Amino acid sequence: MKVELYNHIMKQQFSRRKLLKGAAGAGAVAAVSSIGTGMNMRPAWASSSLRAALLKVPGVGTGSPTDADWQKVGEMTLGPTKEVIKEGEFKGVKLRFMGLNNQNLHNLLFRGFLKPWEKYTGATIEWIDLAQADYNARLQQSIATKTVDFDIIEMGAPFEGDVTGRGLASEMPDWVKTVIDMDDYVGYLKAPVGTWGGKTYRISIDGDCHNFNYRTDYFDNKDFAAAWAAEGHSGAWEVPNTWQKVQEVTKFLKGKKDPLTGLDANGYLDPLKGWGGFGFYFLGSRATAYAKHPDDPAWLFNAEDMTPRVNNAAWVRAIQDVLDVMDAQPADQINADPGTTGFSQFLAGTGSMLSWWGDIGSNAKTSDTSVVGDVTGFSILPGSDDVWNHKAGKWDTLASGPNYAPNMAYIGWGVYVMATVDSDSKKRKAAWSAAAHLGGKDISLWASAYPSGFQPYRKSHFDSSEWIEAGYDEAYINDYLASEGDSYNHPNAAIEPRIPGIFQYYSVAEDELAKIYAGQYGSAQEGADAIAAAWEKITDQIGRESQIKLYRSSLGL
Amino acid sequence: MSTETDLLYVVTSDNISPRRAAFGRMLVRASVGILFLTATTQLLFEYKLISFGFENWRPVLYAYIFWAICLCAAQVIVRGEQGKRVLFVLPAVLFVVSMVVFPLLFGLSISFSDWNLASIDGRKFNGFDNFRQMWADPFYWNALKNMIYYTLAIVIEYAIAFGLALLLNSEIRAQKFFRVTFLLPLMLSPVAVSWMVGKSMMEVRFGPLARLARWVGWEQPSFFGSPEIARATMMMMDAWTFIPFMMIMILAGLQAIPKEVQEAVKIDGASAWQSFWHVTFPLMLPISITAILIRIIFKLKIADIIINVTSGGPGGATDSVTSFIFREYRDRSNVGYGTLLAMVYLVLIVVAITIFMKLVDRWMNPRY
Amino acid sequence: MSDKQIFYDTDVDLSFRAKLLTKRMAVYGILIFWAIICLFPIYWTITTSFKLAPDVMKGNMVPWVDYLPKWKGWKSIGLSPDTIWTESTVRAEFLKRIINSAYAAVGSSTIALILGSLAAYGLSRFRYKFGFMRNPDISFFFLSQLILPPVVLALPFLVLYKELALLDTRIGLIMLYALTVLPIVIWIMRDQFASIPVELEEAALVDGLSIWKSFFTIVLPVALPGMVAAFILSLVLTWNEYFFAALLTSTDAKTLPVMVASQTGSQGINWWSMAALSGAAIFPLLIIGIVLERYIIKGMASGAVK
Repeated sequence: MKVELYNHIMKQQFSRRKLLKGAAGAGAVAAVSSIGTGMNMRPAWASSSLRAALLKVPGVGTGSPTDADWQKVGEMTLGPTKEVIKEGEFKGVKLRFMGLNNQNLHNLLFRGFLKPWEKYTGATIEWIDLAQADYNARLQQSIATKTVDFDIIEMGAPFEGDVTGRGLASEMPDWVKTVIDMDDYVGYLKAPVGTWGGKTYRISIDGDCHNFNYRTDYFDNKDFAAAWAAEGHSGAWEVPNTWQKVQEVTKFLKGKKDPLTGLDANGYLDPLKGWGGFGFYFLGSRATAYAKHPDDPAWLFNAEDMTPRVNNAAWVRAIQDVLDVMDAQPADQINADPGTTGFSQFLAGTGSMLSWWGDIGSNAKTSDTSVVGDVTGFSILPGSDDVWNHKAGKWDTLASGPNYAPNMAYIGWGVYVMATVDSDSKKRKAAWSAAAHLGGKDISLWASAYPSGFQPYRKSHFDSSEWIEAGYDEAYINDYLASEGDSYNHPNAAIEPRIPGIFQYYSVAEDELAKIYAGQYGSAQEGADAIAAAWEKITDQIGRESQIKLYRSSLGL
Repeated sequence: MSTETDLLYVVTSDNISPRRAAFGRMLVRASVGILFLTATTQLLFEYKLISFGFENWRPVLYAYIFWAICLCAAQVIVRGEQGKRVLFVLPAVLFVVSMVVFPLLFGLSISFSDWNLASIDGRKFNGFDNFRQMWADPFYWNALKNMIYYTLAIVIEYAIAFGLALLLNSEIRAQKFFRVTFLLPLMLSPVAVSWMVGKSMMEVRFGPLARLARWVGWEQPSFFGSPEIARATMMMMDAWTFIPFMMIMILAGLQAIPKEVQEAVKIDGASAWQSFWHVTFPLMLPISITAILIRIIFKLKIADIIINVTSGGPGGATDSVTSFIFREYRDRSNVGYGTLLAMVYLVLIVVAITIFMKLVDRWMNPRY
Repeated sequence: MSDKQIFYDTDVDLSFRAKLLTKRMAVYGILIFWAIICLFPIYWTITTSFKLAPDVMKGNMVPWVDYLPKWKGWKSIGLSPDTIWTESTVRAEFLKRIINSAYAAVGSSTIALILGSLAAYGLSRFRYKFGFMRNPDISFFFLSQLILPPVVLALPFLVLYKELALLDTRIGLIMLYALTVLPIVIWIMRDQFASIPVELEEAALVDGLSIWKSFFTIVLPVALPGMVAAFILSLVLTWNEYFFAALLTSTDAKTLPVMVASQTGSQGINWWSMAALSGAAIFPLLIIGIVLERYIIKGMASGAVK
């Protein structure tokens, strides 16, 4: 079955190439340059059939894609590269690529994607694979000891302060902007994200925000609804839209049975163990609705002097929320990091509500580990009935109803080319071509639909008809895409500050949070004060003045 | 063996001519000169005082190796037979000194500086600030406290290892099979163990250990839930890998006990317990001390499984000093402070182990 | 603790056959129990590598009874029957890592064994005086290297290796590993040589052999089991080393443990791949352990009891 599918696609692809070749040169150029205006403007005969064929590799519901699939995808999306690069143009060029080495994701994918590119251009790529937990340390070491030994790096926007802020990256040439169609990016990924000092450095390959994943079979469940009413809760039994409700539902579900697995039912899943800094985002998702006031762009630090806000009433309430439902969590939750809550628990049918990056949605249907593909629903992160007004020092209740503030955690992965290539124009072109191939419009569609570590980040990804054709359930995919799109485009989105050393703040906070969750502090406030004190120390160590400046510019002040 | 003379007498009748000796000395001086020259050139080049130099310090390394070889050769040339004896130890000494001294000195200088890798200003000397910070750092003291717990667990490991060694040394069938089997855990990579045992087998829903625990009657098994249990779990996982190590050392010792000794005891009609307590155990004491000492040293470095399984949680209950410094160093890029913590730890364990060895020495006569 | 009491306490009266039988059963019971403890994780690793997601979730244990083994885990590293002859980027990577690990482990163990044996022999036969240091001090100097926590050396080595252009090279890793296992080699070999009677060499010397000649032709063959033991221990430690490998290597010299550890990340764990990779990583040492086990005990036996 699979072989036939591939053959079919290969034939289609071949015909497309022939057609392009046969068309007048001007026509081909026109086809490429028209990429700039979004997918609807592209010649339908080329794009839609290719994109549809792409999404059928290997097909939703046939398990995780493998190396062979990635190579196919890389081959099929080589079109834009072939327009600008001659065959064998980079013969003899050697590039080093540093990225993550998560199972079947990131670098493993890139290897497959770039294999046809290497074959076509004649360049070779050497790989530096890092575990997620080693990533930050390795990057900082390379910078500090001046051992930048890579030409291309897969990097998240939070590190832009560390890398581009020191002039270590290579500025993006204009031809790349056309090839990757930057206008197609969703709003919040456009400048200033990806730029530093007015220059563009980043090819986005991912957009990140936390959305709210829940189990539809819980909230459609009649027994739960009856019990909910019987226990005297106010309102209907429905998906909670505020954190106050999330708390109530989580406490309510304690002691009940899961409708899918028959094991103990759980409500909202809190990861209580650190994750090399990444765990802090999950407290952030609980806190942003409390802490991000629509009238104030700052929510993590004061914009004036970098005083941490992590110990203000909003954050303390979020910490207290975690503490309040700790006994309603699955056993051993104190040892569960976000990877556990997302993939070992939620996808495996434990727990009913979860904040996570969009990977959960695309994995629920296509990953080997998932059992909840048919019973997962999505929305933006819950809001709060009241929001902390930090300047006034009081809780505000907004006239417009609950305050929502989706957490734009991590701002997504991007591909950056390092300044190491700038002295050699051939190498520079090769590096940018490889990066552009990975950041291409069509390849990104595939990456956001299949387990890749990346999620939708282009306007063109939000055309659900393509997903449906690939085999996604219509209601499901609309639900998923809406939760992502609404988060990205939310006017009160809490966007992470792109300041140097941001992960140091997160890491030290994780250590203190672990102590808070283990009950080693008298109160949430006491623990939050300890985090704030540690943050002040880091700010002083890195340099307060420069941090304030960078923080303000990242807020757009 | 506290004799003042060599254990192995060598009759030396060397006739070393003055010219030969002079040649040897010259060889050393010349190689020192070359080493000095390359190093100075490179140093000046590095500080841009001269325009020529090497791409990196590699040539200096070659000059160092050349000097080391000349030094070894000169020993024999100048001192003859006496030099040949020195030649046994000298290469190892040179190797260790060169590999340890520079890094240690450099580490020492880092530890008195404020160096956060993310800071654009780079490294700043800050005297004893790191030290003061350490004094007030509850995480570090907590980790040190945990190390004491971890170290104490060695007593139980030792008892189990001794028991297993006794069993293996008794007359049993399939002795070879059991010996190989018991040894295997030592061979496994800690990284693989922490994943396959710590995460997979102890997974609370489907892990076989959790199912066993439920079967035994522990309704909500949680291997890392409370601080005490989490610490005990880490101890057990670590013990699992290293019990074989103590076991083979003790087994080796048991097998070396002369058969006559045991037969003599048997003829005397001593009970098994008596023969163990009055004969076997005392005979095993030296090897036991060695085994425990090595085990303590390995235990003090425990980190891999903690980093991989609990990251020190819950609330720092399983943190070891190394895993804590690792986080400080890796996640927070706080190199200066992290290095100071490591240095202090080094001093602490050197002192502790020296005391331990002196005590043991005094208690049962020196073994050297 | 209780195991040895069961064994020894009941030894008092041997005339009761029933009691003897109970004792035997207890002994074998403990032996089998411990064998299960030792073997089960290995069994678990191997069987897990043949599982699919639902099998993992259900905690199935026995292949062909609980679940049907599948090659998925091995396929993910390109080592299943249907992928082994096709081109696979993952397998190429895996093989590269395993070769690096082999180079680093064998190379460093060999260097440590040579340097360590020589030093240990010298220390066990002659009196030295380097400055204030005498034999016990020199011994302690060597052994104290074992105490050094790896974190102390981490950053200094990074800088040192950068200046020497040894970062991400096999030789750099070999040197460092040799340093870390040298103390253990010296420790074992010193005991080994101490147990060899000096008369052996004295006789050889009287016959006119030089010290070095007698060392190579007379002493070394006798000390061979100890050397094998030291070599195997060094192999185990260096093959499994993670910390420095993660720090000092990136592309060319990266070793297997780093690859295993980096399999994990933001997307949860594919247990089957993890198990396949772990299995492949421990396999070589398992073989060594099984084949050369007798040398380890033999090597450690000499000098253990004086």
